[in-house]
Amino acid sequence: MERRAFLKDIAIGSALLNLNPGILAQGGGTPDLAQVTGEDPAQLTKEAIRILGGMGTFVSKGDKVLVKPNIGWDRTPQLAACTNPDIVKALVELCFEAGAKEVTVLDNPCNPARRTYSRSGISKAAKAAGAKVPYPNDHKLKKTALQGESLKEWEIYSDFIETDKIINVPATKHHSLSRVTLGMKNWLGACGGNRNQLHQGLDAAMVDLAAFFKPALTVLDAYRVLFRNGPQGGRLSDVKELKTVVAGVDYVAIDALGSTFLDVDPQELRFLQLAQERGLGESQLEKVFIEKRTL
Amino acid sequence: MKNVRSKKYRGIQNLRILSQAVFFFLFFYLLLQTRFPEDDYIGRVEVFFHFDPLLALTTFLASHVFFASFLLALITLVLTFVWGRFFCGWICPLGTIHQFFAFIFKKTKLLKPKLPKDNHTIWKYYLLLVVLVGAVFSLNLVGILDPFSLLYRSFAVGFMPAITYTVNSFITILYQINWTSLGDALFQIFEMLDINSTFIQGFFLGTLFLGLILLNMTRERFWCRYLCPLGAFLGLAARWNILKLRVNQEKCIECGLCTRQCQTQANPFPNEDWKSSECDYCFTCSAICPTAAIQFPLRAKPESLKAIDLDRRRVLLTTFVGALAVPFFRLTPARIRASEKLIRPPGALPEEEFLRRCIKCGECMKVCPTNGLQPVISEAGPEGLWTPRLDMEIGYCEYYCSLCTQVCPTGAIQELTIEEKNKQIMGTAWVNRNRCIPWKFGNPCIVCEEHCPVSPKAIQLTKIEVTLKDGTVKTPLAPVIDLETCTGCGICENKCPVVDKPAIYVTSVGESRSERNQLLLDVIKSSEGIT
Repeated sequence: MERRAFLKDIAIGSALLNLNPGILAQGGGTPDLAQVTGEDPAQLTKEAIRILGGMGTFVSKGDKVLVKPNIGWDRTPQLAACTNPDIVKALVELCFEAGAKEVTVLDNPCNPARRTYSRSGISKAAKAAGAKVPYPNDHKLKKTALQGESLKEWEIYSDFIETDKIINVPATKHHSLSRVTLGMKNWLGACGGNRNQLHQGLDAAMVDLAAFFKPALTVLDAYRVLFRNGPQGGRLSDVKELKTVVAGVDYVAIDALGSTFLDVDPQELRFLQLAQERGLGESQLEKVFIEKRTL
Repeated sequence: MKNVRSKKYRGIQNLRILSQAVFFFLFFYLLLQTRFPEDDYIGRVEVFFHFDPLLALTTFLASHVFFASFLLALITLVLTFVWGRFFCGWICPLGTIHQFFAFIFKKTKLLKPKLPKDNHTIWKYYLLLVVLVGAVFSLNLVGILDPFSLLYRSFAVGFMPAITYTVNSFITILYQINWTSLGDALFQIFEMLDINSTFIQGFFLGTLFLGLILLNMTRERFWCRYLCPLGAFLGLAARWNILKLRVNQEKCIECGLCTRQCQTQANPFPNEDWKSSECDYCFTCSAICPTAAIQFPLRAKPESLKAIDLDRRRVLLTTFVGALAVPFFRLTPARIRASEKLIRPPGALPEEEFLRRCIKCGECMKVCPTNGLQPVISEAGPEGLWTPRLDMEIGYCEYYCSLCTQVCPTGAIQELTIEEKNKQIMGTAWVNRNRCIPWKFGNPCIVCEEHCPVSPKAIQLTKIEVTLKDGTVKTPLAPVIDLETCTGCGICENKCPVVDKPAIYVTSVGESRSERNQLLLDVIKSSEGIT
């Protein structure tokens, strides 16, 4: 399936959901978000996807899939600065089971890529599941028209454009500017250039980037949550174990739910307001059908 | 005419070429391995240096500390006592490079070997003397001239970056012609190799090395013949070796080919002029002799002392020069006041001791994962030329890394675990409020705080009020430094979005290794008054 066509479908689908998010809830059918709590990160991930109807709902046979975890920092999984490697691995496995032709795991980190890829455990885990885990390649940066409200264009790794499906797998972390870093903030890792300048209008930039990438699926890692000294922490005491994974298509709803894990009221978050105003998703959690399960 | 050249020595010569190739590739392999090993601790990639007796001796003389790893140098020394300067001919990778290019220059007729008339091979002994006398007076100059230091530094700082640049340009072309998968593969391989490619003195050090190679157009192995202090040192030790050249006078037709082709001007003919201190046992003479008249039988008889023709007055003069070099190299303000830009790697010894031990080899610069370690030009005075300093505009000190401390061959940077390293303070960060985006313009930023790797963060944010020119008031979060937790790692400076001259920057003050380059009285530091 063509990525563009797919994105269009998703857009229509999510627009329908926006008009009447209760459609699915009332029917007791597939929920908007699946929130699973338990011990094993991989199992939580697989269960969450199962609740949403299985990976086949999001990935078609022969698809090229790009999985975008947060591999930002030279930190071990225990310090919760990057996405949990077991969650990434489980997703890669699910993609292949759903018939994906190729799965690539990619992020543009803040510390040197070789260090973050290795210490986060993500490179090893994803490779074990058969994914390609290339280092971000600056030759592949392309100035891309984002058609955003504040970001008209930016340098983006073309891997994110030349793929059929994108799965966003953010970590759940404190951040002193956007207050939380979840799914929408994760897109800064697809950007090159002087991305540190985006911070001067971070909320708007996050929304523009999220609207551009439109992931087929977002899986939020809240297994370990970094609740202070974000986005990289450094001490175990900065970390809380919530042992939760959330999955869904509505990335705005996911970020709204994720912020509550960090004890932040989603209604206080500027980027969620902006996203809601632009109709990208639902930030009012009472309007979101969340299926919660404990394993 | 029947070919009567010695097959045996031709075989030994081939063996020697093989040995040179093996050791060169070993050296190069270890150079490539000097990078983040995807683990916190790296093996002994610097082991070549420990086989160098000159480094062992000068570092000991200058610092009065014997670094146990240098015991390996005894092997080289003992073998030289027995077999002479075989090290130069069979092992030294710098010698191999020089010989290789001399070979190329001979094949292209750029070098035509002549009968040597000069006695300039003596230069290197005087150079050695300057280095040794300097070391006795605590001035460690050996790193400038030692072949391993020279080669490693030239490769790490000059040659490898040039290769990387070339490969990168090639990859760009591959993408332009749509050979994407080859471009991808090549890029990923080079990314794995993790070669630091930005060096302040890259051009200079690369050109210097190129110059030394071009000197082979005038004399084969120019460097080894006239300049190498390690060669001189081994030459002195070679005097008693048991492997002596003998010309069979009955077979010799006095063609002079051996002396003309001798790589290191050891003068095989006439036999009594042969200098074992210059011979590197390449066995070229014995292999090319048209009548197989040259052999290397074992003979225990020590050589006559005139083999190295050192003039006593010149020795005195050179000693004087070596001693005089000490104060001259130290005529620098760096001795009375620490330079703000001289931020040494974590675990570096106090400056005086550091300079006594550092051999300017560039191991630390090669292994630094952010390319932050750079060769010093002037910040440490003449003595500190090419010693390492952290330049935050190029890299920074990575938090979970102590690789530079592990690869330092002389302990000038003390070996530290990651936990120990993170207690080291390299300097102190400062905010330039005239350039900082929140402080100056009232816009949000926090990039420095976001990157600060210590927990709790050494960069704290505080809400400030900024009045803009139209009278509006903005209240952004702005960075403030916490002196107690800042280690001076410099990632804040490196990542600051004010690109040309960062609005947050690190200076060396507060560095753990110095007693004098301090900002706060310990009394004040430990009290509650400071935040």
